[in-house]
Amino acid sequence: MKLVTLLAQVDTDKCKGCRTCERVCPVLAIKVVDRKAVVDPERCRGCANCEQRCPDYAVTMIKRDEPLQVGVDVHEVNYDEVVALCAKAKLHPEQRICYCVGTRADEVAAAIIKGARTPEEVSLVTGARTGCTIECIQPILRLLEAAGCELKPPEGGWQWYGRTATAWDLPEAVKQKYSSRGFYFEEDRAVLDKLVEEGIKGGDA
Amino acid sequence: MRAPIKPIPPKPSQYGIDPSLVKTRIADLPGMTSVSLKELFPDLPEVIFPGENGLAKVRQAAEEALMKVDMSMIKPEHSVNVLASHHGFTLLGGEPYAELLKAIKDVIEKRTGCRDIRLRAGVGMRFRETEEYIKRYGLDTYYDGKAIGIAPVDQGIPIETEIGTLYGIKKVYDADWIVHAHHSDVREVHFHRQVDKAVKPFGMSYARIETRSTYHQNLGPRGANFVARAIFDSEFVQKKFAFAAFLNIAPNGVVGVDVDNDLYALNDRVTFTGCQYYGKIMTLFGEIDECIAALDFPCPVPYVFSAGVIYANFTGANTDLYDLDAPLPPYTWYTEAFYGKRGKPLLKDIPPVNPAIKMCVHNYAWTGYPSAFFAEQIPTVVVGQEQAELFNRDPLNLNYMDYATVIKSTEAAMNFAYRATGTRKVIIFDGAMGGINVSEPLAELLTRKAPAVSERVDNELLPKWLRQRGVDMSVLKRGA
Repeated sequence: MKLVTLLAQVDTDKCKGCRTCERVCPVLAIKVVDRKAVVDPERCRGCANCEQRCPDYAVTMIKRDEPLQVGVDVHEVNYDEVVALCAKAKLHPEQRICYCVGTRADEVAAAIIKGARTPEEVSLVTGARTGCTIECIQPILRLLEAAGCELKPPEGGWQWYGRTATAWDLPEAVKQKYSSRGFYFEEDRAVLDKLVEEGIKGGDA
Repeated sequence: MRAPIKPIPPKPSQYGIDPSLVKTRIADLPGMTSVSLKELFPDLPEVIFPGENGLAKVRQAAEEALMKVDMSMIKPEHSVNVLASHHGFTLLGGEPYAELLKAIKDVIEKRTGCRDIRLRAGVGMRFRETEEYIKRYGLDTYYDGKAIGIAPVDQGIPIETEIGTLYGIKKVYDADWIVHAHHSDVREVHFHRQVDKAVKPFGMSYARIETRSTYHQNLGPRGANFVARAIFDSEFVQKKFAFAAFLNIAPNGVVGVDVDNDLYALNDRVTFTGCQYYGKIMTLFGEIDECIAALDFPCPVPYVFSAGVIYANFTGANTDLYDLDAPLPPYTWYTEAFYGKRGKPLLKDIPPVNPAIKMCVHNYAWTGYPSAFFAEQIPTVVVGQEQAELFNRDPLNLNYMDYATVIKSTEAAMNFAYRATGTRKVIIFDGAMGGINVSEPLAELLTRKAPAVSERVDNELLPKWLRQRGVDMSVLKRGA
């Protein structure tokens, strides 16, 4: 759940139509039309990536007149399906995956079960990855992949490029080679496995 | 009792309130004093900064070290990217790191004849932060208009590694050679656990979001920093790496400059000093039985400094953050992720946030890092409505003020904290150089406890920490 209080606003006198804003928007809410950036206020989730990366300082974040509440109610889907999807992605349903918005794995799973098929659609309906826009891309990709979604980045965009390694698919040779240098790979995997087990059992520890 | 040390002044930034709104510094309030770090731990090294002609001494140390490293791979017709990170500019006022960056450019030019030298300065989560530093320290002019800030959402480049494809920022690698300009300050021990600290920027401030998310979500709390090693060891990066130049930092200041073509040799030295010097301060902080933590520094909430230790690490000072047998610190993102909907940890053995912190007085700290967890776990008062409003407008902190309360003035906030907690022990995170600003009762406690802490770290903890990291005690003998 996120209460979206901000909205990107473009100063068309400053905008040179370079498309940087388009490429960094996690919900595809800003597009260059006729060489000027245009914001879709219904899609903007107020992350400020466009404002922070515009080379011409043409974007400002303004306070919305009416804040926009976004979120997916996990009770609207079969929670057993949510738990199963999270377990397949090696996540606890109550695990917080977006540190800025506070979105938990179960809400992202519910969004996917309700039809979200890309990270952009997940962010649009949950608000996840509209704070720092950095740290939660991998668990979102893991959940989408677990649901059988094809992972295809937005064409020409810089929103995301691909899923990466997890504790469960590190090559054995790497683990053996570096375990004496302070990388506790196997022990960490055991901690994460325990978390997933707790998630399947349900409830707080 | 000695007078408080002058705190680092507030800085104009889009991530903090206007400096004119910081009316009172906590260190200026009655009952505050300071403790010299060298008096607490006499075996801390002598420093060249702060001190008389400190900046000139940093410059001299940098030039001398840079003259010894091999630069023969850089030809006059080549291009070089000097890679910097925002952290360096938060250390000791920022000038020493800026001076190192200037010296690197000058010596490369002098020794190689190369003129196409660019500065690429990476960030954490405040995408324009290093743009601000580049202007503040005149680095744009110094680098002939070739200094830019880079962010993890900028265009990426795939890098093939031992653990599959990871992603770097394209502009980091768009030169023939890269120079890794960093420092040995420990900063986020909760994240990197002092494992490959010197390599970390390759997985963080030089990296794309996919890589950083791998670190913080995919590998686990002690395997996380392997993404940095994986990227650095890749054929792609190895072909471009020229050398590393580090400010050698201790909790009491700049010790010197360490430059090496072998980043792992430098890394071993960084691991040793990071464990030895900072380990003593952190272990001492773990002896504090009760206190008010006062934040008063131009950095986001978790990154404000006291004696070289950041607030985020103080919230874990009830445990041994260096002990790799303990998987989860009281605060790290894996820990934060593992708190359930009812506010309880999802795993039984997650330690609580440092119970000695009875209240946090947020006098001055920046936005731009998700900080709600701290206000959720520790009673927090924020000074001034303007600061509260700034947090309410920050996309990373929309919930911070859900848990914190606002008090109009610094004096009123501290008086409230004294009455509500019943303690007079105050630790101030204001970046005081060479010492710690604290209240008199806390100064007495720290002074009394330090000798035993020093002995325990030297004889018991340090050997264990180094053994866990595979670092031989003899690394200092091979030091630069």
